[in-house]
Amino acid sequence: MRKLILGRVLSSFFSLAALVVMVFFLSRLTGDPAALFLPREATQEMLDNFRRLHGLNDPLIVQFGRYVWDLLHLDFGQSLRQARPAIDVVFEGFAWTFQLAAITIALVSIAAIVIGSLAAFRPGGIFDRFASVVSLIGASAPDFWVAIVAIVVFAVNFAWLPTSGTGTVWHWILPVAVLFIRPFGLILQIVRGSMIQSFGSLYVKTARAKGVGNTSIIFVHTLRNAMLPVITVIGDQAAAMLNGAVIIETIFGFPGVGKLMIDSILQRDFNVVLAAIMVTALAIFVMNLLIDIAYAILDPRVRT
Amino acid sequence: MKRSLMLLGAALLSAVHLAMPASAQNASRDVTIVLGEGVDLMEPCMSTRSNIGRVLLQNINETLTEFDVVGDKGLMPRLAESWDQQNDNTWRFHLRKNVKFSNGSDFDAEDVKHSIDRAMSKDLSCETPRYFGSTKITATVVDPSTIDITAEPKQAILPLLMSIVTIVPSDTPVEFVRDPIGTGPYKMTAWNVGQNIVLERRGDYWGDAPQVEKATYVFRTDPAVAAAMVQTGEADIAPSISVTDATNAETDQAYPNSEVFYMRIDQGKPPLQDKRIREALNLAIDRQAFVGTLVPAETTLATAMVPPTTLGFNKDIKPWPFDPEKAKALVAEAKADGIAVDSKITLIGRSNLFPNVLEVMEAIQSMLTDVGLNVDLQMYEVAEFEDIYGKPFAEDRTAQLVAAQHDNARGDPVFSMFFKYHSNGPQSGFSDPKVDQMIEEATAATGEDRAKKWSELFAYLNNDVVADVLLFNQVSFARVNPRVAFKPTIATNSQLQLSQVGFK
Repeated sequence: MRKLILGRVLSSFFSLAALVVMVFFLSRLTGDPAALFLPREATQEMLDNFRRLHGLNDPLIVQFGRYVWDLLHLDFGQSLRQARPAIDVVFEGFAWTFQLAAITIALVSIAAIVIGSLAAFRPGGIFDRFASVVSLIGASAPDFWVAIVAIVVFAVNFAWLPTSGTGTVWHWILPVAVLFIRPFGLILQIVRGSMIQSFGSLYVKTARAKGVGNTSIIFVHTLRNAMLPVITVIGDQAAAMLNGAVIIETIFGFPGVGKLMIDSILQRDFNVVLAAIMVTALAIFVMNLLIDIAYAILDPRVRT
Repeated sequence: MKRSLMLLGAALLSAVHLAMPASAQNASRDVTIVLGEGVDLMEPCMSTRSNIGRVLLQNINETLTEFDVVGDKGLMPRLAESWDQQNDNTWRFHLRKNVKFSNGSDFDAEDVKHSIDRAMSKDLSCETPRYFGSTKITATVVDPSTIDITAEPKQAILPLLMSIVTIVPSDTPVEFVRDPIGTGPYKMTAWNVGQNIVLERRGDYWGDAPQVEKATYVFRTDPAVAAAMVQTGEADIAPSISVTDATNAETDQAYPNSEVFYMRIDQGKPPLQDKRIREALNLAIDRQAFVGTLVPAETTLATAMVPPTTLGFNKDIKPWPFDPEKAKALVAEAKADGIAVDSKITLIGRSNLFPNVLEVMEAIQSMLTDVGLNVDLQMYEVAEFEDIYGKPFAEDRTAQLVAAQHDNARGDPVFSMFFKYHSNGPQSGFSDPKVDQMIEEATAATGEDRAKKWSELFAYLNNDVVADVLLFNQVSFARVNPRVAFKPTIATNSQLQLSQVGFK
């Protein structure tokens, strides 16, 4: 297990370093932050001054050297737009995204595993039909449309929930619900497929022959074996969410890291872009590691 | 046990219910304003940037003078009670007495001097210097309530330029601040980045107390959500909603937003060097056909780079007529004279500039192609667009028509004309010594002579140079909660003074 973790840490470190180098140089090849920060009518003197203040006049390689040196001291630099440490800006956004992703993935996983297992137990039954309909909606309805419709129905027409924003538990319901639909449909299908396969296996037949009850067959005997592909997909979906749910954040006014990243790229706020990429990459790496550990726990073959 | 659980459930429900957001629609004197663009900085010297200015300008930080963009009062006193010209270069400002900053310190001439020095400092990247160009400004304190401001070379509109310099206390550091201190009627009491900014009314403001006691600004990029927020009572004012959402006559209103949409003609490359081709471009576009279809019905046709409320606006200039036959004839005539009319013209647009911008650009491309021009459409995101829009222009470019918006709600063409039309202007598409001279003379002139000179320049640019293809005076739509009395104006895009918000 220790070897597994060490191997993952090493390979992730190299991926992260390559990512930083790539983003650093690519982001600087397009667009000038001075021209974006200052108004169009800025004088040449103002532009020169801005570049001097932010070290943008130095050769790229010098800028890179300085960036890496600062990074080694855990200094991610200042945000050009917000005049405060880039890492503070990113952590604020990431905290929102993390909460949103954690709540949604937890709810999705529980719901998909329970309903998917029941659907697999009686293919063609009520749970199975429900699973098919939900999966279809999840796969075909675009997020932004579902979000706007949800606001119109639940906030404007019924006035049950606030339209958007943050502040109370009620504000979380619509974003989480909209974000829930797509991964729920997907994971539900994976659980169902995997469970159907497991139900046909010999150990389930043996359990039935021994007179084990249905609940025990589903949740004790079958589920553990059916979980391996499910965990992979849950991990993928969680990783996507940690990158930020840009559409949901934009529509519901959630100050998450996804929207922050898009805004920072458009404004060429380099330090925030790099810090955001590093923080999300690190989070995804940690999560992948957790998935690997979960795999190892569920399947002894992985450990060896 | 069951009873305890029920009680716990009821308690939780009631707690959650209590936590529901307070609706903006109540009897209080608080308002919630939903803005489309977030605020990344609350720096007074950046308040000419619209997203910052809408929250900060004249609410938290005030200026010495204030220009009445909407009415006809011209330049009005704010922190300066009066001003007079000492000589060609120097103006003396007599400051208001008994004014306090929100941190309790007294306002005096030292604060004005520090504010000017700070805004012009090379250790900061404030927006202010752009309005002064190469003019050097020196502030000299005469006494605590009198200050001399000298411009080198002389600056005819120095008092107007003082409507841009926000005043901060003399101990404000020369670095960007995130907690602005000002003399205005409000102070910032909370800023939850990305979520909201709260301003509360000051009890010790020098002027009349505004009606609004507390203003909460929230930020929603999607205009449909902003509109929904006012509809549900979560917000009171949404200054910028989409035309498609502006469906309720009781709450929604159109207003000119001071943006002019136009196409810059690149006279550096063929075939646009030929005046007949530039006329053909103008005649080929059926501007009126866009109004009420792809752009809102309240849109008007632009005849200058500035909105009609600007000094020297020339009412005699009429929009170019739609005359494709004449345009074709002009193209044919130019071709007969050996002009390379088949040369590719790249029509450059900016994605998401306004609703339907892509459709508008495609329609323009089609109209220009119909009169025999070879037009290719390219859309760019903001950073790439700005690179193309500003000088230096790429040498190996094809001829360009750059469709851009320009906003001047400051009352004087000086904030536009040098940049867009002078040979040294960073976004000028041509070079004409006569235009340069006219701009320089108008910039130096004062009073009626100034208005006349600007007026002549507008006519010369439109009739003789055919400098660009002016298209529309754009409009925005606001949704206002019926309990609130607020009328958006041409200034709303850049500032939203809470003192102009009342209750019915």
